[in-house]
Amino acid sequence: MRRNRFLAAMAALVVLASACGTSSGGNAQAKVGGTLTIDNESGGLWSCAFNPFNGSVTGLSVGIFYEPLVYDNLLTDKKTNWLASGYEWSPDNKTLTFTARSGVKWSDGQDFSADDVVYTFNLIKQHPELDLQAVWSVLSSVTKSGTDKVVMTFANSAVPYFFPIADQVSIVPQHIWSALKDPVGDSIANPIGTGPFTLGQCTPQNITYTRNANYWQHGLPYLQTVNYPAFTDNDPANQFLAAGQAQWGGQYIPSIDTYYVGKDRAHNHYWFPPIDNIDLWFNTTKAPLDNKAVRQAFAFGVDRNQASQKGESGYEPPGNQTGVLSPTFDSWIDQGAASKYGYKFDVSKATSLLQSAGFTKNSSGVMQDSAGHKLSFNVITIAGYTDWDATLQVVADSLKQAGIQVKVQDLSSNDYFDKLFSGKFDLAYGSLNTQPGPSPYYELRNTMDSATTAAIGQTASGDYGRYKNPAVDALFDQFGATTDSNKQHDLIKQIQAVMLEDVPVVPVTEGVAWYEWSTKDFAGWPTQQDPYAAPAPWNLPDMEVVLIHLYKTS
Amino acid sequence: MSYLLRRLEFFAITLWAALTVNFLLPRLMPGSPAEAMLVRFHGRVSPQTVKAMEIALGVHSDQNIVQQYFEYLGNTFTGNLGVSLTFFPTSVAKVVMLALPWSLGLVGTATIIAFILGTLVGMLAAWRRGGIFDAILPPVLIIISAFPYFWIALFCLLLFSLTLNWFPLGFAYDLTSSINLSWDFIGQVVSHAFLPALTIVITSIGGWILTMRNTMITTLAEDYVKMARAKGLSPLRIMLQYAGRNAILPNLTGFAMSLGFVISGAILVEIVFNYPGLGFMLLQAVNGEDFALMQALFLLITVAVLVAVLIADVLTAWLDPRTREAT
Repeated sequence: MRRNRFLAAMAALVVLASACGTSSGGNAQAKVGGTLTIDNESGGLWSCAFNPFNGSVTGLSVGIFYEPLVYDNLLTDKKTNWLASGYEWSPDNKTLTFTARSGVKWSDGQDFSADDVVYTFNLIKQHPELDLQAVWSVLSSVTKSGTDKVVMTFANSAVPYFFPIADQVSIVPQHIWSALKDPVGDSIANPIGTGPFTLGQCTPQNITYTRNANYWQHGLPYLQTVNYPAFTDNDPANQFLAAGQAQWGGQYIPSIDTYYVGKDRAHNHYWFPPIDNIDLWFNTTKAPLDNKAVRQAFAFGVDRNQASQKGESGYEPPGNQTGVLSPTFDSWIDQGAASKYGYKFDVSKATSLLQSAGFTKNSSGVMQDSAGHKLSFNVITIAGYTDWDATLQVVADSLKQAGIQVKVQDLSSNDYFDKLFSGKFDLAYGSLNTQPGPSPYYELRNTMDSATTAAIGQTASGDYGRYKNPAVDALFDQFGATTDSNKQHDLIKQIQAVMLEDVPVVPVTEGVAWYEWSTKDFAGWPTQQDPYAAPAPWNLPDMEVVLIHLYKTS
Repeated sequence: MSYLLRRLEFFAITLWAALTVNFLLPRLMPGSPAEAMLVRFHGRVSPQTVKAMEIALGVHSDQNIVQQYFEYLGNTFTGNLGVSLTFFPTSVAKVVMLALPWSLGLVGTATIIAFILGTLVGMLAAWRRGGIFDAILPPVLIIISAFPYFWIALFCLLLFSLTLNWFPLGFAYDLTSSINLSWDFIGQVVSHAFLPALTIVITSIGGWILTMRNTMITTLAEDYVKMARAKGLSPLRIMLQYAGRNAILPNLTGFAMSLGFVISGAILVEIVFNYPGLGFMLLQAVNGEDFALMQALFLLITVAVLVAVLIADVLTAWLDPRTREAT
């Protein structure tokens, strides 16, 4: 029943009626109240800066103060009009028109209008350092039309950019921001937004958000206060959560069943939905990794189930070679093609692939070609990511059985990212560092589309393995030009076929949104059955959507 | 007087050397600050974001290293410490002030308590060596000091905070409080600081006891102590004025050093008790390649240690006339 609540987001009373059906009944005011505490390791104290375009503090202001035009669920791609009351693509998908919602007020009482939207987009055009999603790499212009329309034009069809533009850019008030001397360097200590909360108090160790009584979704939010303490490390954050002093968690907890759920079996829950792949990247410009057969042998030689179990305690599920997240994007997976290739841990298959590619095992059990070049590689990873180290141990052990020698190289994070982005590696372990999106397109494109890569030695925003395939690039371009869901599914199928055949990466495990919650005092949480938003407190702007759904039960 | 002058000279040269090393060290590290920010977000930001940040942070500076060096020296003496990269756009001075009072308060107080208690226990143990007091207290405390700090701190946290609920779980004051000067707030600060302070004291006290007790025993065998006893002076006076005053000298230098290091905070304490302090900030600055913040913190630590050593030198000169005559 809750699943459909979002259709009614504009009519909050309807939402309320359906939500109350499950509890006691009553009116909006009856449920207002309560103090929720968020528990999310931030790695530092709060500096009380609330600039939504400052990458280091977005988590404290995006959504909660500054809202998007359209909320696009990261897990389900369900779009809900937010500050825009509607939007429309032109027939050629090169013009996108938003209608600014009327009746929305900034928290200082001024009216929100289409001017604010136009101002925001032109602000981040003028200051590229604020354009965190690089939306101006595809936009040509953003102008106002009529009284409440915002017209965005693109040089090429850019349908998938709807997500970064509509969901990821926070709209700021023109009447405040146009007066700022330096919108980049300003800390925005007194944030004025349209969001469901306003700033109560900020100290280095805690931020208090207070209910915005004039929020445009009337009756929402239910919560009176939200506390967001700063945790410098995982351990204290986990203790705080397990002791019941916080209700909404967003980090890894070792042995979660005993450590967290066991503390209060009736109320403590967790759900870790996959949001990206953690891949073994091949440098496809280097022999013999430029050989498809060798990469296919890797895909058979890596024991993904063991990697998930031993490396990630089973919390992060094993990856699959289509590159499409399961179960998050199951409806996109081409099961037929996947079973035709049948990638699973299979030493003899890996060995025979290598043998037919001309490799033979030498006396120490390592495969080598006729010239004596051994299949021996270094894989780079980040020192201190102990789960990745454990995973790579499994990867190395399983590949060894097929005659592939893999040596783990733990690098400092700076060194690692430098080498990863510039392509200075044989093998690399890690995920994309671009924002995942609400369909498999985003991750697949950043993994395989050569438009995202760069020459070796230069910083690539995606495709760290320097994989080049003009046919697959064309498929991504076609995807970008269509809003037809059937056509999109068909294109993703074709892309999966390339992924299965060419193996540009081996998805080893799936990274998840860590999410723990307690139903002791609050209800309305997103769950696997009702994934109305990506559930981690650091999923933005989904965090806002979760907060306006929560209400106190006791 | 010339003794003090020589100490001052030494102070100036060391300070300059420290400043220069402080400037060079961070620049020898691989990688770029914006990339380092990625770590903090566990890969939740994209290279586009990194690029945006690099522009915002101005890390692609065209200045050569010599220009940077002189600008750095000038800024250091004018107190302009720059803008923190990790906490952009907050200034370094403001960022440091977020944590400095808490580090000073907690680690400073705990260090002083540990020093005073340790020295007293060491002195008494030596005075009555072989007695029950000497047989039990010093060995027990020294053994406890040898425990890993993490273990003791987690144990105290689990027992007193999680199980018995006597003390709060982490932070420097109640979450929803703001900093003010009411009794209620002071009470919060004390109850939040009690466990961290206790664990610092019990893990560091052993060192003070051991040094003090050993030096005291040697001192008690000196002729001037025998002379004092022969003169029939009160035992208390002999213990404090004759033996104690001389035996405390090595401990005093150690104390000055550790007071200097108070500035660097106590990383483990801060992590276990989620206490806001400079130690964790320093770690974060290093991880985040936050040159400005790193340099400011190293500078603070260097200056604090140098000043503390200088003060210890002056104190030693005052307590021990031999150092003055040696010049």
